[in-house]
Amino acid sequence: MKETRLGEFEEVILLLVGILGEEAYAFKIAEEFESQTKRAVSIGAVHSTLNRLGDKGFLTSEMGKSTPERGGRRKRIYTITASGQRVLQIARDFKLSLWDQFPAFSTGKLSFGK
Amino acid sequence: MKPEKPIPPQLAKRFLLWFLRDDLAEEVLGDLDEQFLYKTTRTSLFRAKLNYWYQVFNYLRPFAINKSKSTNSNHYAMFRNYLKISWRSLIKQKMYSSIKVVGSALGITACLLIALFIRDELSYDRHYANEDRIYRVVYVDNDDGEIEKDVFHQAPFAGALKDDYAEIVKAGRYCDGELFGAGSKEVRRAGTIQNSYEKDFIYVDQELLDILQIPMVYGDLATALTKPKSLVMSKAKADKYFPNENPVGQTLILDNDEENPYTIGGVMEDSPANSHFKHDFLMTMSGVEFWPGEQTYWRASNYPTYVLLRPDTDPKQLEMKIKDIVKNYMVPSREAAGIADPGDIVNKISFELQPISDIHLKSADIDDELSHGDIRFVWLFGTIAVFILLIACINFVNLSTAKSANRAKEVGVRKVAGSSRGNLIRQFLTESVLYSFLSFALGILLAWSLLPYFNTIADKSLEFPWATWWLIPAVAATALITGIFSGLYPSFYLSAFKPVQVLKGGVSRGSKSAYLRSVLVIFQFTTSIVLIISTAIIFRQMNFILNNKLGFDKEQVLLLRGANTLGDKVTTFKNTLLKFSEVKSVSVSDYLPIASTKRNGNGFWKEGKTQEDKPVYGQIWRVDHDYIKTMEMQIVEGRDFNPDMATDSQSIIINEKMAKAFAFENPLGQRITNSGDVWQVVGVVQDFHFETLKEDIRPLCLVIGNSPAIISVKVNTTDMANLIQSITAVWDEFSPNQPIRYTFMDEDFAQMYADVQRMGHIFNSFAILAIIVACMGLLALSTFMIEQRGKEISVRLVLGASFGNILRLLTSNFVKLVLISLIIAIPVGWLMMTKWLEDFVYKIDIGWDIFLFAGILVLIITILTVSYQSVKAALTNPVENLKSE
Repeated sequence: MKETRLGEFEEVILLLVGILGEEAYAFKIAEEFESQTKRAVSIGAVHSTLNRLGDKGFLTSEMGKSTPERGGRRKRIYTITASGQRVLQIARDFKLSLWDQFPAFSTGKLSFGK
Repeated sequence: MKPEKPIPPQLAKRFLLWFLRDDLAEEVLGDLDEQFLYKTTRTSLFRAKLNYWYQVFNYLRPFAINKSKSTNSNHYAMFRNYLKISWRSLIKQKMYSSIKVVGSALGITACLLIALFIRDELSYDRHYANEDRIYRVVYVDNDDGEIEKDVFHQAPFAGALKDDYAEIVKAGRYCDGELFGAGSKEVRRAGTIQNSYEKDFIYVDQELLDILQIPMVYGDLATALTKPKSLVMSKAKADKYFPNENPVGQTLILDNDEENPYTIGGVMEDSPANSHFKHDFLMTMSGVEFWPGEQTYWRASNYPTYVLLRPDTDPKQLEMKIKDIVKNYMVPSREAAGIADPGDIVNKISFELQPISDIHLKSADIDDELSHGDIRFVWLFGTIAVFILLIACINFVNLSTAKSANRAKEVGVRKVAGSSRGNLIRQFLTESVLYSFLSFALGILLAWSLLPYFNTIADKSLEFPWATWWLIPAVAATALITGIFSGLYPSFYLSAFKPVQVLKGGVSRGSKSAYLRSVLVIFQFTTSIVLIISTAIIFRQMNFILNNKLGFDKEQVLLLRGANTLGDKVTTFKNTLLKFSEVKSVSVSDYLPIASTKRNGNGFWKEGKTQEDKPVYGQIWRVDHDYIKTMEMQIVEGRDFNPDMATDSQSIIINEKMAKAFAFENPLGQRITNSGDVWQVVGVVQDFHFETLKEDIRPLCLVIGNSPAIISVKVNTTDMANLIQSITAVWDEFSPNQPIRYTFMDEDFAQMYADVQRMGHIFNSFAILAIIVACMGLLALSTFMIEQRGKEISVRLVLGASFGNILRLLTSNFVKLVLISLIIAIPVGWLMMTKWLEDFVYKIDIGWDIFLFAGILVLIITILTVSYQSVKAALTNPVENLKSE
């Protein structure tokens, strides 16, 4: 847990976990990533990032329900921890402050709603 | 549930499970299955499968991969454990391990060397562009079932073949008869004066070049020999006479004949070592006629002839067809010459077409005057290699099973601790593969370092094929297979022990397989003894050859070669040499009873009987008056040539064989002819060997004549070096432009048997190798036996057994085995060597003393080997062995 900064990909994945809520498991996250960003990603890459985020303490996970299309296997559902939410906040604030310093956008017309 | 659910690729799944962390398996497989199903609804099944594979490979990430296999499958860890245990047991028993490794390494070395040798032998004459269509025509003479084959044909034979048979695209000849000026010559570049000696000239048709497609460095292959008096030389010789220039068009003076210089038509690449056609200078046949009408003469055969066949020609059918040459050309020529029964050759003569790649190995029964390999030796050496490897493998098996008692406890404990038989088998196989790899590594190193020595004795220039890509994989694969094979028996044997029996001490201490071990030891020693017997017989035959009564004296004879350069001065030269007190006599003649001097063939008749009688075929040697004296040949009847008798130019001396062939009751005064000259017999010389002892002595006669290339000097000196210096000084005075060249007759004579000597050396080396390997096994085995019987020996000693008793007890077993081997080996060796000696007309009898010698030798070696350990055992203080219980 030494490294607490978020990479861009990590940030997106973390957000997607938040967005998907109860459905946040590797395959769904990968699919959501593809549909939102139009970029291809492998489940392995997502899984690896989820694992790393878990190591950093931003995510916890537990085994969820099984479904027939998974051959009766259970899925691992990820949820954001408090420190995960905090690091997202920090990342957003940091970017906002950068945006604010950017003259073209310092009028504050842009809104970053929650 | 849908009955037909698409199934993800199982192989990919297995692969994934192989590397994936166990705790991730459920979720990951679930995710992938879900995605697979999802994909199948959107794209084709194939794409979905492809995607599955893609996803699987994308799980090859550090976090997902099994850190330590032991948590999942234990192959890797177990294998590491096997290796560790193998290494430990190897280190723990240094003597056994080194005997196992060194023994097999020696076997592998022998095998590798022989494999290289065989590879080289088999590679001969495969480099020609049209190799599969080039044949040598073999002449077969079947005289009432007595078949003689040679390769020499008449001059017009090649032309007739090409003209009469559409299947033959090209037909080319060469001629290497010294009589016609092939062979050795004094050579210099036009415009220089210093001669140097070259020994490899032959006459060649342009068409033979076309057939063989010899690669050229300079000049055009298609026209290199078309002009009269042109020649093609090898690159090596071109570099010698014309360094750094293109010699095409330049001229060479041969044998000081300035009137007839040769023009260089081309330079060919040096022939590869594995070619039967290796020559330095090819002189054109164009415009050459050795005597008037020679090129159309059908009754003299001097030309080996090669043909290039049209593709898809059946050589067997063609062989039958070309028999017509006999009827169409040879018979008419005999009729014209007035020979009685000219047609009788039709049923005697036939032809065979020998593929060019068979020439090197399959010409044992064909007289072609080339030195080549022998397919029988290839087989023989191959067999020896296999046997030596077998001996080495037997050591391995023997030692492993013998040591089983020591490993039995280990096996018991492992089984009790839960090891399966499969584990144990793998353990022991790993061990044997480890040994095998070590042995191969050592064996390759040994073979590589022994290769120069092997090249000397086998007269080869083999190189270790480090550069070939397949060497390492091939050797590794062989090492693996050998390791597994030699480990199979021990591993199954050892792993079958019952833990309870072993641990309670009931296993028969490794003596259970004693019977098998004895058989294997007998096999090893039989092989070694056969090799020893063969070696002894080969050396004895060689000795016989070198010291046999030859009918002439080859000792202290100096041969000065290239003496034709002296010209008319030869007589003065001869007389100058005779002034030295050490010089006993001097004779000028190119016909000598050693190889590669002049030979010829002639038919002889009693005078006036040329039409009625069959000819007696024999050699006619042109010698001078001092010849018989110099060679120390014996006149058995009549007299030697006499310089004071002018009539001796019409006199002839015949050998006993010829006298017998003519059935002369009183040979002296008889008149014989070769259908040209007529001579009167004045003497009969005792038969002397002028060919190798493989052949019978044949009829021969001597006449006075001029053949000035070799001067034989019989000397009587203890200071040869000094004498040679004096002779050299005289030579330089007479022939300043040509350095002296001399050889010793006894050495030239020994050279004739180089192949026999070579064979002797090779057998010797392998016999030594075999006996060393076998003895190593014996040493280890005896050490082990004595170790096992340590307590027994101690008890015997305590009870009063003498040192001798103990020694006898321990060695008698092995001696018995060796005696049995001897009984088997003697008939085998006898059979083999009788077969080998069949090659020689003059040969030794295989006496019982050779077998006695081999037997005693092997027994001594055995007893020495075994008693080394026995003595040690008999001398140990019994307390040492007994105190532990």
